[in-house]
This record gives sequence, C-alpha cells and structure tokens, in this order.
Amino acid sequence: MTSPLVSIRGLEKRFDLSGNLLEQITFEGGRFRRKQEAVHAINGVDLDVQRGEALCVVGESGCGKSTVARTVMGLLSPSGGEIHYDGQRIDNLDGKDALPYRRKMQMIFQNPYASLNPRMTIQQTLEEPIRFHHPDWSDIEVRDKIHEVMHSVGIDPDWGSRFGHEFSGGQRQRIAIARALAVDPEFIVADEPISALDVSIQAQVLNLLMDAQESRGLTYLFITHDLAVVEHFGTRVAVMYLGRVCELADTATLFATPRHPYTQALLSAIPKLEDDRPNHIRLQGEVPTPVNLPSGCVFHGRCPYANERCRAEVPELIATDEGARVACHAVEEGRL
Amino acid sequence: MALLEVKNLDARFAVRGGDLTALRGISFSLDKGERLGLVGESGAGKSVAAFSILNLIAKPGYIADGQILFEGRDLAAMSERELRGIRGNRIAMIFQDPMMTLNPVLTIGTQMVEAIQAHRKISKKEARAIALDRLQKVQIPSPEKRLDQYPHELSGGMRQRVIIAIALLLDPEIIIADEPTTALDVTIQAEIMDLLLNLCEQENVALMLITHDLGVVSQVTQRMLVMYSGRIIEQGPTREIINDAQHPYTQGLINALPQMGEPGDRLFQIPGAMPSLKNVPKGCPFHPRCRFATEQCKHSMPEYVRSGNVDVACYEVANLIEQERQMQEAES
Repeated sequence: MTSPLVSIRGLEKRFDLSGNLLEQITFEGGRFRRKQEAVHAINGVDLDVQRGEALCVVGESGCGKSTVARTVMGLLSPSGGEIHYDGQRIDNLDGKDALPYRRKMQMIFQNPYASLNPRMTIQQTLEEPIRFHHPDWSDIEVRDKIHEVMHSVGIDPDWGSRFGHEFSGGQRQRIAIARALAVDPEFIVADEPISALDVSIQAQVLNLLMDAQESRGLTYLFITHDLAVVEHFGTRVAVMYLGRVCELADTATLFATPRHPYTQALLSAIPKLEDDRPNHIRLQGEVPTPVNLPSGCVFHGRCPYANERCRAEVPELIATDEGARVACHAVEEGRL
Repeated sequence: MALLEVKNLDARFAVRGGDLTALRGISFSLDKGERLGLVGESGAGKSVAAFSILNLIAKPGYIADGQILFEGRDLAAMSERELRGIRGNRIAMIFQDPMMTLNPVLTIGTQMVEAIQAHRKISKKEARAIALDRLQKVQIPSPEKRLDQYPHELSGGMRQRVIIAIALLLDPEIIIADEPTTALDVTIQAEIMDLLLNLCEQENVALMLITHDLGVVSQVTQRMLVMYSGRIIEQGPTREIINDAQHPYTQGLINALPQMGEPGDRLFQIPGAMPSLKNVPKGCPFHPRCRFATEQCKHSMPEYVRSGNVDVACYEVANLIEQERQMQEAES
C-alpha cells in the first residue's frame, strides 16, 4: 500500500475550562484546592487519509469531528499526538515552514454566510489567496486563474465585482469552494459543507465537489453528521463518539455490515423514504459530557451490550473479517 | 366535516414599494387525528402557512384573503381575544428551537402551570399535577425533578420533550410542529419523532408537521402537501406521492436525495434556486427550473388536476392525463 497523504497519530485535544491559577483555586473543607477542568474533545485518534479518497468522519454534535478537521488544518494546535502530511510532520511547523502546506491544504466551512468577508467582492475574495501564495504571478495570470475557478464552480466570471450578500446560499458555497480551489490544493478539509443548504442545492454542491475531485485529483477529509451523504460520497468512513473513533471501514462495508453498536444505532436512525414508521434502535440516555469522560469504553453507558470489561477497559480498534476496524469488546469477544 | 379547513388563503407582507405575496390560494384540510406533512425548501412559505392558521404572522405580514375554518368557525375573522382562547389550548404549536421557546429565567414547572392557568381556572396544585402527568407521558427521566429545573439545565433532546409536554398540556385538537427536530442530532431526532407520533396516535391529536426532510414525512404523516414559492403544487396521500411523485419539482426533490442515487454517481440536480418573493416568475413559479416548461407555463398558473388521489398543479401532468384519457376513449 502506498503511503497515506495525511496521517493522524494519537491525536488529542483538550480545551481548558478552568481559567487562570486564581480561578482554579477553591476553598473546600478547610483547605485550598486547585481544581482543573477541561473538555476532552479528541482522545487518541489515529486516521490515515489515502491519496484520492474521500474519508468521511461522521458523528453527532460534540463527538470531536470538527475539532479533528481544525486540528489537521492547523487552526488548532493538538494537545498530544502528531499530524503528518506526505511523510512530513506538520503540527509543529510555524511561519515560513508551514507555508507550502497551507497552499496544499484548504478548507471549506459549513456556513457560507459567515465564511465570506462581506466587505470584499468575489474578485477580491478569490484574488487574496492567489496573491498570497503566488506573489510572483502577473495580473494576467491571476485573472486567468480566477476566471478558471469561477467557471469550474459554475459562477459567471462577470459577477466578480459583486459582494457575497448578492448571492444565494448555494452560490456562496460555490464561491467558498472556488476560493479553496484557487491555489490548486491537493487536500481539502470540508466541515459540513452542505448542511446549511436546501435539499436541491445540496445535490448541486455535492456534484460539484465530486466533479472537482475527479478533474483535479483531490483528496477529501469530509466532516458530516448526514449518513445518507456519506453513503453516496465517501470512500471510507470513520464513526466518532466522544472524541474516539469507534468504527472505521469502507463505505459499502460499513453500510452493509455495521458492527459497532453505536454505528448500528446511528444507521437505523436515518429516516428513509420507504419507511412507514420510525424504526430505530433505541439507545438509553444521552451523550455524556466530554468534561468527565466515562471510564472504559466511552459508549458503555448507552450500550445494550456493555459488561464489566466495557466499564473498565478502553477498547482499541481491531480488524474484523469484513476488513473494517472496530473498537468494541463485544465484537472482539464474539458476543456481537 | 373536517376539523380544520383552509380555503383560498392569501398572505402578504406589506413592504415599501408594494405587497409581497407569501401565500397564494392555499387550500387544504385536516381531519381529526390525521397527520399532515408540509414540505418545501426555505422560502417556500411552509412556515408562513402554518403560522397564519393561528394568525401568528407578525406585521408587516397579514392575511389578505381566504378562510381558516376550525370546527366551522373562521379563525381569520376572529378577534385577538377570541384567538387567544384557541392558541395553545385547542391548537398547540411546537417550534424548531426549544431554547427560544422556553423562558430561560423561569423553571419548567412555573412555565407549565402558567400555561394551564391561562386557559383553565384551577389551583396551582392541580395544574402542577397535570404538568407532571404530561412530563411522564413524554418519558422524561425523573419528571418531578424537572419541574423545578431551568431550561439550561436540560439537554437539547430533553428540552424538546418538555416542549411537547407543554403542547399536550390542555389536550389540544391539533399540534402544529415547525421543524421540531431540525436542531437535534440524528439519534435524538429519531426518538423525538417516534414520541410525537405515538402521542398523537394515543391521544388522537391531529398533527401538522412542517419539515424539509422527506424521510421524516414518509415515516410520520398520512397525507402531505408540497409547497413552492407560496403555492401548494402537489398534495395527496404521503405514500402515493413518495412512491410516484407527479410534479417535476417533487420528483426533483426526491431524486436529489443521496439515498436515491447509486453511491459515487452524480446526483440528480434541479438547476437554479427558489425565487425570492420579490421576483416570483409569472405563470408557474417553477417554470425557469423545469425540464418540461412550455410557453403556456410561462404565462398562466396551472389549475389543479387529479392523478390517482393526488392533486397536482402542472400543465405537463394535465397534458399526460388528457392524452391517456383520449387513448382510452379511442380504444373503447
């Protein structure tokens, strides 16, 4: 197997909640105590993104999927672990050293109403990254590039002098995609790029992303909560729960034979057109807070198959017969 | 007689430079205990349609024409005072964002008791007992404790359960639910939808469910109506429409879903986007995006035709039906 384009090793990210030293100190039972609290957003994630694939990360709010995206892009610095791009460790680079990777890696955000600068015309929005990464390009080269990307996302190049607010949500997301494509990236991180859009517009933008992947040979890390989109778009899927990957598999394998109890529940919860009634697997309770993580398997509190071992020991990802990787003691022991 | 009958409803927004028509000629009915889905993309007018039933469209919006008959009385012609006796009492509403609906500075119990006492002359203690009963019905864990908690102490899914409990407080005839699960996660969404469906069946409450999610409509409702640019373009039994949509827009909406395509293939896409109210195209509002549009579609709005049990407003469908009829005539 060829080496992965992006590889994430033992990634951890904590967000400190307790503030400065004075705010941490409390007076309890006649003694001063120092109390530190943190949100454990990612707790040891290993993922490889292969060249040319679309790796989808799915999960519910608070599972850490967006934090993974942001940490990979260098928008957040990891609390532990490493990120490698094309064999080179990038999470500890800064300034000049990181620059070439910033061109190769681009991001598309969820809300195109927030991600475009309202005071910049479309021309300026697209010009900025090109000028930044290619200071030596002539005006004509820059203009041609802008025309090329606008054309490829289906926005009329004559609209360059308009502002973001003059466009609809779908068109804005096209412009955001054009901005990412303007510097010819290899790798695109898309964080819920279609969730803010209407159904008919979602299809347009998904088609656009698939076309761009084909014509430019892009690799995607695609973050979403929508499993129907994953089934259509993803090469492989990683299901996350409370900051850990609980199942990683080829899209077809995951949808045909989901192994992890959480994946099964998640898949059963998608409302399908052929259903006459909701028929989903019921989970007990709700997602625990990532401030106080449960011991053992993070899912044990809601899992119908949990036993003593699940409550004590953290499950590792192990390979299954179908070629998937599942972090579940019940699957490992053959109970499930 | 239908429980609720909306006839030729027009709603407009008075803005500078003339009125914008948000709803045009909306007619539908809802029977006792029936579940009806309102489907459409943002800007289609589905929320305005639901809100105008209780005359909840805020100024500059107003109901320009039409009747809203609830048990034979016209809600559109009622005074604000009379309407208040119906809102929350006979017809309850559930909104999208539970945090916006609940008052953050009052406990759940206070808010529920207040709602009951606004409509019924009973003691606080009796009201609290009703509140507790409804919280049990929506299967909230430790309901007694919840009465004394504030909304911020509950999770999103639990807040939406509280909202459903509040909607059920006064045994309404109709619940209007506007995207009740859109703000929630998939697994929580499935549970809330399941709960709402079971409660409506148990209590024989009619449900008007506004949503953009065709999967949810298919699971929960018996009849559905599809809106586009302020008009109903197709309405009929849910199963019939999902399996065999007649209007090109409904067909497009269904075919654009990722679950309809083969993995990896391009998705079916409707070109363009919904027009804004400021420049609704003449004729059929869908014609600029429609594959079948003809000259006729550009000039006049099609009347409803019936195909099976479904009413559709589309010239193409009307022509197909007419051709079929002629062929049958020729055969016999």
